[in-house]
Amino acid sequence: MRSSLRRTRWATALGATTILALGACSGDGDGGSTATDDPILVGISLPLTGDFSEPGKGVQQGYEAWAKITNDKGGLLGRQIQLKILDDQSNADRVVADYEQLIGSDEADLVVGPFSTRLVVPAARVAEEYGMLFVEPAGAAKEVFSQGFKNLFYAAPAVANDHYNHLAEYLLALPADKRPKTVAYAAMDDPFAQGTAYGLKDKLEAAGIKTVVNEVYPPNTTDFSSIAAKIASSKADMLVGGSQYQDGVNLIVALQQLNYQPKLAAFSGAPTNPEFAKAIGNKTEGVLSPTGYSPDAPYPSNKEFVEKFTAQFGKAPDEDQANAYTTGQVVAAAVTAVGCAEQGDCQKKLVDWVHGNKVETVVGPLSWDQTGKPQGAHMIQQWVGGRIRIVLPEAVKEAEFVYPKPAW
Amino acid sequence: MPSGALLFQSVILGLLLGGLYALLAAGLTLYFGIMRVVMIAHSAFLILAAYLAWWTHTRLGIDPLLSMIVTVPLFFGAGVLLQRGLLSRLRAITLTMMSVLLTFAVALIIEGLLGYAFTGTQRRIQLGYGSAGLQVFGARIAVVKLIAFGLAVLALAALYLLMKKTTFGWALRATIQHRDAARLVGIDTERVAGYGFGLGLATAAIGGTALSLDTTIYPSLHWHWIGPLMAIIVVGGLGSVPGAAAAAVLLGLIQSLLQIPLGTTWAQTIFYLALFATLAFRPQGFFGGRLAQRF
Repeated sequence: MRSSLRRTRWATALGATTILALGACSGDGDGGSTATDDPILVGISLPLTGDFSEPGKGVQQGYEAWAKITNDKGGLLGRQIQLKILDDQSNADRVVADYEQLIGSDEADLVVGPFSTRLVVPAARVAEEYGMLFVEPAGAAKEVFSQGFKNLFYAAPAVANDHYNHLAEYLLALPADKRPKTVAYAAMDDPFAQGTAYGLKDKLEAAGIKTVVNEVYPPNTTDFSSIAAKIASSKADMLVGGSQYQDGVNLIVALQQLNYQPKLAAFSGAPTNPEFAKAIGNKTEGVLSPTGYSPDAPYPSNKEFVEKFTAQFGKAPDEDQANAYTTGQVVAAAVTAVGCAEQGDCQKKLVDWVHGNKVETVVGPLSWDQTGKPQGAHMIQQWVGGRIRIVLPEAVKEAEFVYPKPAW
Repeated sequence: MPSGALLFQSVILGLLLGGLYALLAAGLTLYFGIMRVVMIAHSAFLILAAYLAWWTHTRLGIDPLLSMIVTVPLFFGAGVLLQRGLLSRLRAITLTMMSVLLTFAVALIIEGLLGYAFTGTQRRIQLGYGSAGLQVFGARIAVVKLIAFGLAVLALAALYLLMKKTTFGWALRATIQHRDAARLVGIDTERVAGYGFGLGLATAAIGGTALSLDTTIYPSLHWHWIGPLMAIIVVGGLGSVPGAAAAAVLLGLIQSLLQIPLGTTWAQTIFYLALFATLAFRPQGFFGGRLAQRF
């Protein structure tokens, strides 16, 4: 009995060794012969279920559109693009395991980022460890750029704190008696949502505009009546909401119930959503929102993107899709210029190229500082005459800035 | 220091919120009273009712309140079936613990089915009077909140009358107070327990509809509700409907007032602080709660 057990163990060990040896050989074989017509495997982990599933799916469409449009034109370096998308369930532990798998066992030639700061930071750390170029569509909070990442690039016009720069400039240029004097801030407890509101807050406070309410609420908040009561009782001239979508709508409805009428109201996220007008009873006139993307923007590649995206998915792209597509454009520009797409030394060359160059994308020309932070600001859109239009900066405006805001 | 107007506004919001909490907690405490069952799925049924109200409104275009014509009897039936078919089959000795597992599973099934049918997108009923409000002594009361509060008060009053004035109510209370004694005087406690369970779930149908009028709903929202509701019924004394109602109004009010100095995130902790304090100093609960002492 005992000897037979030992024999089995020996056999198992021998078998395992053989398999390992074979595995190592075949691994070598693959690595050595990267044929030029092999597809380029692009590894991505996205929150397809869980808290970020809605924007996660938007980002997925953007990547799929990029792969299809690029492949239809003959691919990159003559190789087809193949996406490998894993679902991280909006979970930061999961996203780390996903990128380990994509880089380690799937041997992805390139990796690109997931959605939202909370997932981008852990994912970028993995990419950094393996020396991979890491362009990402959705990590806009300042935490992303203070981690010392050298391979990370945010593929959008501006980080969260700079979203409102054009609005801050506009307000501070107003004569002193016309400027709003008091502001109420309400932001979701989320680095991105808070970043947008606090970027504006810092600039306005520095200019002496008083903060009278500063509220932070957890992401699962559904009842905004108490926050609204505080804002309404402060009678602030201006309201700034660091919101995603539904929280912004809920806050506005709660404020309408209390009949609070600010002279200016700005929300990140919510007002650009197609459902927004109906959700707040069509009383949208004058509501502001920073936006990193508009299907109407006049950048050369944007027209092609909007056309082909609409043909593929039956609707126009919005910001999530556009940022994912932009991510693809940045990676593609680097790959084309450097002439390689694989793990190893090639990645360093790609990183260096992106650091040193400006890339034309669907959200305009992008360039980055040493931390991977894009050097721009968002356009400011406002609901004017029942439509959301670009009002700032002057150079690209579609309508005049409405101030003060009509009652809602 | 917050202004008087803000305090008054917060008191009103707190009372309106407390009224809703009272109705939502009433069902939960009823189950415990009837058969020492911890019904984790109560808030999942709540969200289910809210979804049905939302669906009625968006798909059929009629007022969400009308959905109760269907959901209240439906939930009553579902409650009877749940009690007769599943919970009454659990072994008495491990009933409380196993009921947590069983109803946890039911909650997950409901959440999963809601996600499958309606996706994870947050939904909100868009009513013509959704943003309307009334001016009362300098405070504003939203019409939808008033309707929700009115529903809660009506449902609680109906429950109270049912428990106090009808033969079924007497039988139900007898079953809650002493099951063996109730059986000795000829009450069919099994049947009464089933109906009592149905009654609890019927309150979830009303509560869910009231909830849907003024908040966003999504399939996993019920986890957000079950914690505060459990805390309320413990503070109120397990099994005591008036206790749950009193604790709900009180905690709702405190939560609303605490939001002024502490903000939304920390104000939520009042439920758990109250829960710890109750368990540490008065485990039987602060109102009624003779049952929990024995438990």
